[in-house]
Amino acid sequence: PADTFHNLQELHHSASLATKVFIQRDYSDSTICKFQTKFPAELDSRIERSLFEETVKTLNCYYGEAEKIGGQSYLEGCLACATAYIIFLCMETRYEKILKKISMYIQEQNEKIYAPRGLLLTDPIERGMRVVSFANTWDVFLSVGTTLKELCTIYKL
Amino acid sequence: MRRSSAYIPVSTAAALLVTSSTLFFVFTCPWLVVNVSPVFPSCVGIVFLFVMANFIMATFMDAGVFPRANEDEDKDEDFRAPLYKNVEVRGVQVRMKWCASCHFYRPPRCSHCSVCDHCVEDFDHHCPWVNNCIGRRNYRFFFFFLFLLSLTLHMGGVFSGGLLYVLDHPENLWELHAAVTLAVMSVSALFFIPVLGLSCFHLVLVARGRTTNEQVTGKFQGGVNPFTRGCHQNVQFVLFSPITPRTQAHSYNSQALNVQIAASHSASFPSPRVPQLSPQILPDKSLEEVDAPDSKRLTCPPPLPPKPDPVLLKNHLAALEESLLQSRLALMPSGHNMNPLQTSESPGKVLYQVPRDQMGSRISPLVPQEHVSEPSLLQPENHANALTLNSRSLSLKHSSRRGSQRAEIPHASQSVLSGPTGSLSYDSLLHPAGVQPAFLPMDPGLSRGSVDMQRLPARNCSPVFMHINREPSPVRYDSLPKPLMSSIQERREPDDKDKPVQDGGIYDTPSRRSLPQDFRGLSSSRGPTPPAYGSREFLLSSAAYGYRSRSHLSSSSSSSLTRAPRTASSPLHFNRSLSPSIYQSLDRQSQLPPSTLPAPLPTSSYGPQKALAYIRGGEKPEPEL
Repeated sequence: PADTFHNLQELHHSASLATKVFIQRDYSDSTICKFQTKFPAELDSRIERSLFEETVKTLNCYYGEAEKIGGQSYLEGCLACATAYIIFLCMETRYEKILKKISMYIQEQNEKIYAPRGLLLTDPIERGMRVVSFANTWDVFLSVGTTLKELCTIYKL
Repeated sequence: MRRSSAYIPVSTAAALLVTSSTLFFVFTCPWLVVNVSPVFPSCVGIVFLFVMANFIMATFMDAGVFPRANEDEDKDEDFRAPLYKNVEVRGVQVRMKWCASCHFYRPPRCSHCSVCDHCVEDFDHHCPWVNNCIGRRNYRFFFFFLFLLSLTLHMGGVFSGGLLYVLDHPENLWELHAAVTLAVMSVSALFFIPVLGLSCFHLVLVARGRTTNEQVTGKFQGGVNPFTRGCHQNVQFVLFSPITPRTQAHSYNSQALNVQIAASHSASFPSPRVPQLSPQILPDKSLEEVDAPDSKRLTCPPPLPPKPDPVLLKNHLAALEESLLQSRLALMPSGHNMNPLQTSESPGKVLYQVPRDQMGSRISPLVPQEHVSEPSLLQPENHANALTLNSRSLSLKHSSRRGSQRAEIPHASQSVLSGPTGSLSYDSLLHPAGVQPAFLPMDPGLSRGSVDMQRLPARNCSPVFMHINREPSPVRYDSLPKPLMSSIQERREPDDKDKPVQDGGIYDTPSRRSLPQDFRGLSSSRGPTPPAYGSREFLLSSAAYGYRSRSHLSSSSSSSLTRAPRTASSPLHFNRSLSPSIYQSLDRQSQLPPSTLPAPLPTSSYGPQKALAYIRGGEKPEPEL
């Protein structure tokens, strides 16, 4: 049923409440989108420092490039103004293109680096670009497993 | 969630704009084309087109809303976590305030809009004329709208004046035209001065790199603005920075993907760890139901008439006992959970009480369903299976955090997982074994149950007070009156819902008069308000609260008790400018009618309190998915 899947999603969120690591935003350069590269202590045993830093730095680069005020952003701004913003219906902005690149990158990083270590990197866009979170893959299964168990109990399977 | 009266200013603005312009084009322009120049009406037409485009974008574009944080982000924020977090922005210390509604520390320049009940990035203000928050993503459209609008008004007014001057010899043919032109001219003259004033104000703001919020609250009056990059860069940033994406739309989209990725690597787990969730988190996490005993304390629960079903009663009492135990453990509320009164792990326990209450009428149809699901829930519970309990309570807590609406209550009966009541998360694990055996052999008699429930809250009263006095408040507050007033003011916010709309006109002008609205709308973060936080304010506010709930039939009474108290009683950094206006606004607010959220008077029974909080949590608007 639909609500079952919804519950599944919800449980996934609540899965690793104790073990998620959050990388907060770095506001030292005003409100541009940048994440702290400081290595959190909780990940000390889980992943190498260099890999972590490389991931966060690459993400910061992506976001910096997306928010850069330069040639293409001028062009987009003027074009949008000239067409009375109808262009937003037709065209995908540069930011959105880079966001897609970022999610591909995160997926690739998860597959190659983090999942083998039992971690899961989440896309910051899901949290309003406020944090990058590392979750435990074990907790994902945990939540799924317990959801199924409870569902069985409820439906008396 | 907005009342229909919120649409009046925006409808008026749109109607005036369209009507006046249409009349101008129909009646005045033909003459202008012939007698003055064809270029002029076409210019006016183009400008009008852009004005409408910017108006539509300002109205409908997401201002940069932050989606509410999941409960898992609260891990670091236990009940001792501070209300403010300092962060350095370009060498200047900026304070990030904890947002009780959205459950994160607000990024710099972010503010919570009480009308829309969400946090907005680079919050400028909430404009009633477009019925939308103005923030990072749509500020340029708003600015252009103002600028072009004033330009249009100027043009329309000036040339209509010229037209009328020329038409000083009234011919019958032109009488209608002259009259219409006169009307359009007067409308545009009427609105020209305020719109021009607002445009100039925003011009200055853009040049200085400030938001309306910052200007009006006087944040950078004495100090330096760390967000400015110089006039040219500021203008460039406002006009030409890329439009950031809609973050709300992206929430929870890729969860399935994450699960898939995790699943695909299941073979490569280093070791499947035993769920360490319970032992690790129990010491850290304070319980959200701490607020439950507070409400109990306020209203001494009389004997409850529970259902004669012993199984349900046992569950309910088990949950009650757990919550009471936890409340003794950690009184200071972590304050993140929306429904701390729901100590039970299943909605059935709460809903069960509902039909007996004044407000139960809406939910009573669901109760029979609850009965069905209840026995099945007993098994996992009675096993004292920490894992199961943990997951269920986690899920319940999470789902409650998600702000499930009342409409979701039907789901609760089918599946405890979607029940929006569970707020027990980790602390329920602390005493599952300890609590349940205590209740299992209990005689499920009605009188016994009611007596027990009666005793439990009473017993809890003193520990609650003791706790309050023992533990120093981690929240900094300068003095009692200010935090108290702020907590009172925040409590009164639900009554205040229509205020920002009514006073919106004031808001748009940068004057001191707008400060109260500003304060309400921006500094405090929530629709349903949190209670005071900290020992002294807590007592005082709770006392005032109880009185108010009885006298005002306010919906915020128990709900704010159950909400995150972390944000209340914060030292207001703009105290200087706002304290007189705060008192004014508070006086005004005290006369306001109760909020629109329906809430019956919280009776003195314990069950209704829980159910009320349950419903309150259920009424929270669900974030967009």
